[in-house]
Amino acid sequence: MRLNLILYVVLIFFAIATVNSEHQYRNNYSRLDIEKKTTSELRDEKTKLEVEESDKSGNLRIQTIASEKLRMYAPNKKEVKVIR
Amino acid sequence: MINTRKKQTEFFELSKLRRRFVLIMILSLFFALFSRAIYLQAMQKDFLQKEAKNRSDRHVLLHAYRGKIVDRNNNVFAVSTPVQVITANPSIFEASVKKKIKLARLLSLSRRDLEKKVQKNKKEVFLNRQLSPEKAAQVIALKIPGISSNKDYKRFYPAKEVAAHLIGFTGIDGYGLEGIELHSNKLLAGEPGYKKILKTVAGKIVDDLQDVKIPRDGQDIQLSIDKRLQYSAYRALEKAVEKHAAISGSAILLDAKTGEILAMANYPSYNPNTKGKSKDFIRNRVVTDTFEPGSTIKAISVSAALESKSTKPHNIIDTSAGYYKVGRSFVKDTHKYGKISVKEVIQKSSNIGAIIIGEKVKPKYLWNTLNNFGIGQKTGVSFPGEVGGKLMHYKNWRKTDHQSATYGYGMSTSLIQLARSYTVFANQGNIKSVSLLKAKDLTLGRRVISKKTSDEMLSMLESVVKDGTADHAKVNGYRVAGKTGTSKKVGPNGKYESNYIGSFVGIAPVSNPKFVIAVMIDTPSIGSYYGGPVAGPVFSSLMAEALKIYSIPQDGFIENNEQKREVKPDSII
Repeated sequence: MRLNLILYVVLIFFAIATVNSEHQYRNNYSRLDIEKKTTSELRDEKTKLEVEESDKSGNLRIQTIASEKLRMYAPNKKEVKVIR
Repeated sequence: MINTRKKQTEFFELSKLRRRFVLIMILSLFFALFSRAIYLQAMQKDFLQKEAKNRSDRHVLLHAYRGKIVDRNNNVFAVSTPVQVITANPSIFEASVKKKIKLARLLSLSRRDLEKKVQKNKKEVFLNRQLSPEKAAQVIALKIPGISSNKDYKRFYPAKEVAAHLIGFTGIDGYGLEGIELHSNKLLAGEPGYKKILKTVAGKIVDDLQDVKIPRDGQDIQLSIDKRLQYSAYRALEKAVEKHAAISGSAILLDAKTGEILAMANYPSYNPNTKGKSKDFIRNRVVTDTFEPGSTIKAISVSAALESKSTKPHNIIDTSAGYYKVGRSFVKDTHKYGKISVKEVIQKSSNIGAIIIGEKVKPKYLWNTLNNFGIGQKTGVSFPGEVGGKLMHYKNWRKTDHQSATYGYGMSTSLIQLARSYTVFANQGNIKSVSLLKAKDLTLGRRVISKKTSDEMLSMLESVVKDGTADHAKVNGYRVAGKTGTSKKVGPNGKYESNYIGSFVGIAPVSNPKFVIAVMIDTPSIGSYYGGPVAGPVFSSLMAEALKIYSIPQDGFIENNEQKREVKPDSII
């Protein structure tokens, strides 16, 4: 009788533990899924910024701004002084 | 009493009949149910299980992120940007005329096209596969039944036309179709994963079956290309092609020490971000097109002569006749140069001189040297569409083949091969293998000619730029060596046309070579068509930029006065 009671308590304990473990798994899985989504969103954001950076640092854009806005030009041969 | 008993007996007899009837009915029903159960469980088991799975289990594809393509300084050349795929389920699609007009406008479709796509007899259809996330949000906000939006990725190429031939592009399914995108598709693409979920008929996910294959993202690829030099090469070519109204122009810039390709450009080009690319402009002509190299080969044939000791740099060659018989035709120089040294043969690009020098070299030796310089062979860069060119085996050579090989005819080569062959002169006689990927270690070369011959040739090539046919290739403040080439094009009928290819291959700075550049301008039709004035300025402009960007110390004189340049024609046949 006593043994049966002990086995019954052990059974209840393991049943609760199993349910708890399943619950924890689902929680963790859900968190992992959220983290993955966040990673994906951040990566997309990074890509956007990289594209923007690439666009802003484009050679043609820099050349246009340098020549038109800043009035820069490549020095001609007369203007070059080489210090040796 | 007797009557009562009789009645009871009759009742029980009747009742017994009824009971039997009911029992038989119940048993029959049970039997029917049991038979049906056996039929379904035993005979239709596989079919039903499959159908049930198909209706409830779903494999959800997990996207693998396609790797980026970056230049040697981590500047982006190709990247996957998020887009939305808009799909419609025509069986439940229902929208008012006003909403349909709005939807069609957002999807860049006409209303008629939209109506066609959502016809009731169709299954799920794509309405737009590359819609921006902002527009997709507006589509979803319309709350039209049957319209759904899923995330996908679209390839974006920030360098646009400048690196189009090199980077290539992908199809709508993300598979590389041209250029590096095709060459490294397996590495870039990765491997998509999937997860198995349980769905209701309404599409609601009720359980995750945990049968997950984790996606493996594609790898990023770092090229040896320098975006700044790529841009300079493209702009220099654009200028030259427009100025001379040429069909096209190509250029390649190599790091002489490592064999890394720092720039590889073609003009005209196309924008890989837009649809409808013209097939004529898609080829990366640097690797896919071959041409007879002409005079640029003289540096190799004279190297063979020096190496075989059949001639010496100070030997005098008599070219005073002004022509030389090769088979049935005569090969001429642009001027009668008279008696000139071997150095002057290179400097003035004398065809007659090259033939006289080359004839003294045994066919096997000349062929071996050309072969060792990589002429007529693929470079190993394994770029899609790379061609090997043609160099006939010396055993099949007739006398004219031997003679024409000395001045670069009777063979075909690509521009990348030509550039690689000149790494020999930049590395004291060692040829470098070329690479499109950034080198991590020092690359070893393969000896082709001795250091002595290489140094002698470099000196001769320097005289070409200093006092010879390549005045336009000068770079102020630096010593430059190189060789011009002007060759006639072969027409579709196999005969030479009056169209030319002007080319130039050069090295700088001569004191410690850092870069090798090869330029080719196809069919220049305005102004000169010689390699020097047509391809020389592209070389000069690109080399000057490369030397400036990489802060290479000057080793030459600075000219303060702009001199009026004289066009010295290069030899053509």
